[in-house]
Amino acid sequence: MRRSSNIPAATLFLRLILWLLAFVTITPFLLLLLTSIKSKADVLRGAFALPAYPHFENYVDAWNAGHFNIYFWNSITVVIPVVAASVFLGLLTGFAFAYLSFPLRRTLFAILTLGMMVPAEAFIIPLYYEMRYLGLINTYAALIVPQIAMSIPFSTIFLASAMQQLPEEVLEAAVLDGAGRFYILRKIVVPLMIPAMSTLALFLFIWTWNEFLIPFILVNDDAYRTLPLGMLFFQGRYTVNTPVLTAGAVIVIAPLILTYLIFQRRFIAGLTAGATK
Amino acid sequence: MKRSALDGSQHTNVIYLVPGLLLYAAFVFGPIVAALGLSLTSWDGLTMPKWVGLGNYAALFSDSRFYIALRNNAELMIFYCVLPLVIGITLAACVWNLKQREQLALRTFLFLPYIMPTAVLGIIWAWLYNPAFGPFNQFLRAVGLGRFALPWLGDFNFVLPAVGIVATWYFFGFCMVIFLTGIQRIDPSLFDAAKVDGASARKTFFWITLPLLMPEIRVVLLLTVIASIKSFDLIFTMTRGGPANATLVPNIYMYQLGFELNRFGAAAAIAIVGALLTFVINFAIHRLLGSKSKGLA
Repeated sequence: MRRSSNIPAATLFLRLILWLLAFVTITPFLLLLLTSIKSKADVLRGAFALPAYPHFENYVDAWNAGHFNIYFWNSITVVIPVVAASVFLGLLTGFAFAYLSFPLRRTLFAILTLGMMVPAEAFIIPLYYEMRYLGLINTYAALIVPQIAMSIPFSTIFLASAMQQLPEEVLEAAVLDGAGRFYILRKIVVPLMIPAMSTLALFLFIWTWNEFLIPFILVNDDAYRTLPLGMLFFQGRYTVNTPVLTAGAVIVIAPLILTYLIFQRRFIAGLTAGATK
Repeated sequence: MKRSALDGSQHTNVIYLVPGLLLYAAFVFGPIVAALGLSLTSWDGLTMPKWVGLGNYAALFSDSRFYIALRNNAELMIFYCVLPLVIGITLAACVWNLKQREQLALRTFLFLPYIMPTAVLGIIWAWLYNPAFGPFNQFLRAVGLGRFALPWLGDFNFVLPAVGIVATWYFFGFCMVIFLTGIQRIDPSLFDAAKVDGASARKTFFWITLPLLMPEIRVVLLLTVIASIKSFDLIFTMTRGGPANATLVPNIYMYQLGFELNRFGAAAAIAIVGALLTFVINFAIHRLLGSKSKGLA
């Protein structure tokens, strides 16, 4: 490794500050976790005081009274088809941009990248009326379909640039063997793309799980709210019941923290690869 | 682009494009174009839209609330873009020569806020800032700074920095991670040469690390500037633009005009101005900091 021997005192001081900063950064999450297992009386004794014993019933309350059972199920119902369809469509479109020629190639690429720069806030009004016209307001389709459409630019560009890194010889050999293109995509390209596809799936999972504006505008029926939305309306009802409110927040972020800790190397590698491209 | 071995006839090639692009056209590109058209009309969402040309834009630029929103957005950029960039690059310079395991652990903690839903972070921070029983003020009182225990989100002067700090907290670990990869990309012999020449750590940073990190600085600026212009979730859940417009930003104003007052034409005009602003700043960053993007097209 680069340098590990005899670390001077200055570095030790620096490291102390770094670790202090890291601790301060995660303090909100620690406080959240601590408060979520307190009773209402415990909260009045101070944010940093420990409860006599953990009150896990806050989670039961949030889950049942706060409808988190519905929101959690909705989030799952939305995130799975969004990730699956986005990766699949991204593979097809990415394959085209990586290897194939077609009319208006540059124009189409520019139009696609436009969608990565224009935020959903800019077109949410026409989208709302379009969904209303199609009779899709307050359906799972309202949460799923626009989300897939919005993820197509990133999926395409991410997978196309990953495909361009593949060794051309492998593909040429397959073509010489007389394999059809869809067969090559399925049997040769896709297996080689597994790492890129799983990184992409990870990103899409996080983004879809965290999405706020689309469900906020396109759904107003409690039965279709996803977790971040449920949290917002939950906040309205439980502002005074801090332990249950914080338990709700923990339910929303726990799957994210779990996913992050499991896949964190892949996540950061993908992030930097995607960002500096 | 050189022709690939996989290339076929243009008719069959199009089959690979159609499903994705059709969906994209129907639910992203179409609505973008429609928003542009809508911004040229006056529409209440019920009756037929009335053509007003650039009337909505003219009205916006003589609307004092819109200027307040733009100014707030500019001030928020200090917290969304400048602070995370400066803190991130400083941290990266400090962390990069630590041992692999320690580096990974620090990175894991500092990056954590970035994967969270900003709407939920807003709700969490609204609780942290609560004047009566929020942990933030309790901490201030506990360490003897009780006179600084303010109603942060209700105070006209402090609410913008209070919201801004959350954005800084959200982004600085992300910036650090990008800069860390950037530093690892730099040829180590440059650092060794500087060491041999007896350059101080500060000189090495300003004369080697910083100039060579320009591509990463550009990326970080682009992403944080876009995030600051599209900021909605965090502000909506923390303050809804209040108190008294102190945290009003264009997208909150767009939401109020559109979905609360049914003035959809005017709201679309704000959305378009925001998108244009993103393009202009994007372009400026590319021009000022240079780019060597190797595009696909």
